[in-house]
Amino acid sequence: MPRYRIQYSKRGPASYISHLDLVRTLERAFRRAGLPIAYSEGFNPHPRFSFAAPLPVGVEGLAEVLDVEMQVSVDHRDLAERLNGALPPGLAVLDVTVVSDNTPAPMAELNMAGYIVHLDEDDLPGPLPAGAVQDFLIEEHIEVTRKGRDGREKIRDIRPGILKLDVLSQVNGLTMQLELQTGSTLNVRPEDVVEVFFRHAGMAVDKADLQIIRTRLF
Amino acid sequence: MEKQLEKIIRRVQKPGRYSGGEWNTVCKDWQSTYIKMAFAFPDVYEVGMSHLGLQILYGIVNGREDALLERVFAPWPDMEQQMRNTGLPLFSLESRRPLREFDIIGFTLQYELSFSNILNMLDLAGIPLRSADRAGGDYPMIVAGGPCAFNPEPMAEFIDVFAIGEGEELLNDLLDAYLASRRSSEGRQDLLIRLAGIDGIYVPALYRVEYNNLGHINTVTSVCEGVPAQVQKRFVADVDAAFFPTHMVVPAIEAVHDRAMLEVQRGCTRGCRFCQAGVIYRPVREKEPEILLRHADELLGSTGWGEISLTSLSTSDYSRVTPLVNELIKRHGSAGVNVSLPSLRVDAFSVDLAKEVQKVRRSSLTFAPEAGTQRLRDVINKGVTEDNLIAAVDAAFSAGWHSIKLYFMIGLPTETDEDLHGIANLARKVLDRGRKLVRVKGRLKVTVSVSSFVPKSHTSFQWEPQNSIAELKRKQALLRELLRGRGLVFKWHDPEGSFLEAVLSRGDRRLAGAIEAAWRNGARFDGWSEFFDINKWLMAFTSTGIDPDWYAYHRYHYDDALPWDHISSGVSKKFLMREHLCSLEGATTPDCRSGRCHGCGLCVSLEAKPYLAGGEAIASLSDTVQ
Repeated sequence: MPRYRIQYSKRGPASYISHLDLVRTLERAFRRAGLPIAYSEGFNPHPRFSFAAPLPVGVEGLAEVLDVEMQVSVDHRDLAERLNGALPPGLAVLDVTVVSDNTPAPMAELNMAGYIVHLDEDDLPGPLPAGAVQDFLIEEHIEVTRKGRDGREKIRDIRPGILKLDVLSQVNGLTMQLELQTGSTLNVRPEDVVEVFFRHAGMAVDKADLQIIRTRLF
Repeated sequence: MEKQLEKIIRRVQKPGRYSGGEWNTVCKDWQSTYIKMAFAFPDVYEVGMSHLGLQILYGIVNGREDALLERVFAPWPDMEQQMRNTGLPLFSLESRRPLREFDIIGFTLQYELSFSNILNMLDLAGIPLRSADRAGGDYPMIVAGGPCAFNPEPMAEFIDVFAIGEGEELLNDLLDAYLASRRSSEGRQDLLIRLAGIDGIYVPALYRVEYNNLGHINTVTSVCEGVPAQVQKRFVADVDAAFFPTHMVVPAIEAVHDRAMLEVQRGCTRGCRFCQAGVIYRPVREKEPEILLRHADELLGSTGWGEISLTSLSTSDYSRVTPLVNELIKRHGSAGVNVSLPSLRVDAFSVDLAKEVQKVRRSSLTFAPEAGTQRLRDVINKGVTEDNLIAAVDAAFSAGWHSIKLYFMIGLPTETDEDLHGIANLARKVLDRGRKLVRVKGRLKVTVSVSSFVPKSHTSFQWEPQNSIAELKRKQALLRELLRGRGLVFKWHDPEGSFLEAVLSRGDRRLAGAIEAAWRNGARFDGWSEFFDINKWLMAFTSTGIDPDWYAYHRYHYDDALPWDHISSGVSKKFLMREHLCSLEGATTPDCRSGRCHGCGLCVSLEAKPYLAGGEAIASLSDTVQ
C-alpha cells in the first residue's frame, strides 16, 4: 500500500494532546479530509501510522515525523493540502514525501532529537556557575532514576545519549540547546537532562517550569 | 493570564482538559458580540464533552450574530489546587477569559451529585455563591437548566434563573429578552421580572415559600405580578425543524462517549414508574429518517468520527430504526464507520439490530429488566417479561456474544427478599441459556449490576420513601451471597451516594445552607467514588440543622404540597397518583404507542401530541382525567 512520510508541527494547544489522543485526532483529520488511511487486520483494526518518536505532553514539536499507509495513491502535495485543511489549531503538515516499501520505519531511521529548553528568569535558581557545561559533560556517567512500568525504580546511565548540551542565551532566563538519543535502546528525556545538569551545578529546578521545544529528529 | 495558565497547565494530570483549541470550536470576536455566555458543565471535561445538550446549545447560541457561547468544565482537583495556589480564576476554553467577564453563565443540572461542583465553580470564578449576594455587584447572571431543574428548589438560593424543559427555543427567548432588557437599560431586578414572564423560565427569588407548623411546605406563591403561579416546561413541538448540531466540537482528549451522536427521537412512551426522564421529555417525538440521514452525513463529514451513536431514551422503540440503521451502514460502513445503539429494549428484535451493527462481537450486551420478579416489574410498569429476556439472551448467545450485563434496581417500592431471589434466579437462567448456546464456555459471563432506587420528582414514585442505607446494604449482601458462582459477576454502588441523591432530588430551599456547608467541608465530584465522602455531607446537615433522613425516608401524602409543585412537566399530578395506586396493585399501564391514551394530561395541558416518523398517529388525544 502507498506509504507517505509526513513532517508536521505540534504546537500551542495541540502540544497538550497526548500521543494516544494524537492518533485519534489524526485518524479523524484524515477522515474529514476524505483521505482513506489503511487499517491493520484483526479484531481491533487500528490506523497504519508509524511515528518516529512520541512527543511528551506539553512539549512542542517543530518537525515531527510520521509514516502513514493509505488505501489509495494520493498526490503528495494534495495530501498535504487536504490534511492541513482538516487539522485542529496547532497541528500543521510541513512536508509530505512518498516513501518506498523497503524504507525503514521512521523509528528505525531517526534516533536523535534536538531540543530547545527555556527557563524563565523567575524560575531560575540563580546564575549558572562558570564552566557548568564543561564540568557536566566531562562526567563519564550520568545517572538518572526513573520508575519503570512495574513501579520499581531503575537507575540508568544517560551520558552516552547526550550528544550536545549548550547554553544559547542567559538573557531573560536561560535557553539551552540539547541533542539527545531517542528510541527504544536509550531514550533520554530533556527534562531529566536539565534537572540533573542543574543538580550537578548545585542547584535545583522544577521540571514543570521547563518550556521545551523539540526542533528536529535526525 | 496566558503565561500563568501555561505554567500551571504543565503541572496537572491532563492539560488537554483546559487547553481548548478542539476541532469545530467557535471563537467569536469578543468586543463586537453583544451577549457573552458561558456554558458551564459541573463535571470533568471528558464527561461534559459527551453531552449532546452542550453541543446543541453551543451551535444555537454561536449561530446567532449577537451572542457567543464558550465552554467551561469543572476543574479536576489537581487543577483546582493549582488555580487556588496561583489565584488563577476559572476561565473559558475558547477565549481563556475569566468567567466573571461573561454576561450569563449557564449551568446544566444533569445529576444531583454535581451540585457541589457548581458552588465550587462559582467560587473559583470569584462570583458570590448566593443570588442575593450578587444582587448589588456587576456579576454574570447565573442560569441553570437540565433534568434536575425540574426540582430546582435545593439550588434556588444559588441560581438566578432556571430554564425548565428543552432549551432549543427557550434559550433563544431568554437571550432575546436579555438583549431587550439591556437596550432599555434595566437593572437586574427588572431583567429578572421580564425573564419570569417567559414560558419555561423560573426565577426562584420571585416566589415565596411558606411552611406549616410541622415544617412542611404549605404554599409557594409568586410575589409579583406577571410571574406565573406555576411554571410550565418548554418542549420543541417539531423536532425535525429544531436545530441539530452537525458541526459538533470534537474533544481533544478522549471523552467518555467519544463519537457522533444522532438523536433519533425525544421522549419515551414506556411509562416506567421510577423514571423521571420518561415524564419530563414527553411527548415522544420521532425524527424523519431522511432528516436523520442528512444530519448523519454532515456530522460524520464535519467531525471525522468513526462511530455514530443513535441516541434517545429507548432507541429500539424508534419506529424506523431498522431502515435507518441499514441505510447508515450502507452509506458509511465502507468508510469504517460503526453504528452503535446505546439503549436497547429487552427483546430479540433489539438483539437482531445489535447484530446488524456489530460486525465484530467485541463487547458485552446489556439489558435492563430492572426487577427480578414479574410482580415487581408490573409494580414499576417495566413492560418486560422473563420470556422477553430469555428470547433476547438466546438471540445474543446464538449470535456470538458471550458476555451479558443485566441491570437491576434494588429498594423499589413493595420489594421483598423474594424479588431479590428473583434477580439471582433470572441471572442463573441466563447463565444456563449461555451454557447451552455459547461455544467457548470458559468465556461465558453474566454480570448483574444493581443500583439503588432513588425517588424522583414528577414520577409516580415521588411520594415513596427510599430504603435506608442499612437496608440497602443488607440487600446487597444477600445478593452477593446469592450470586456466587462460576460465570457470575455481581456489581453494586455504595448506597450512601444514592441516599444523598434522594435527599437532593426531593429537597426544598432549606437545603441551601447544607449544600454550601458540604462544599465548604470539601465536597467535590460527589458522583465520583474516589472523591465522594458522605461524612462531609452528614457534618454539613448537622451543622445546618437539617435532618437528611426526613428528606430521603419521608413518605409524602397525596394532599401534601410537594417542593416542586410549582414546576409543571405537563403530566398531571392526578395521573401520577393514579399510576402510583395502580403500581401498588401491580396493575400495568400500556405503552403510549399502543394507541390507547391513558390520560397523563400532557397533550391537553401543553397542546402537544406524540409524533411518529411518517406522521402516523398513535394515541387518541382525548384526555380522560382532566
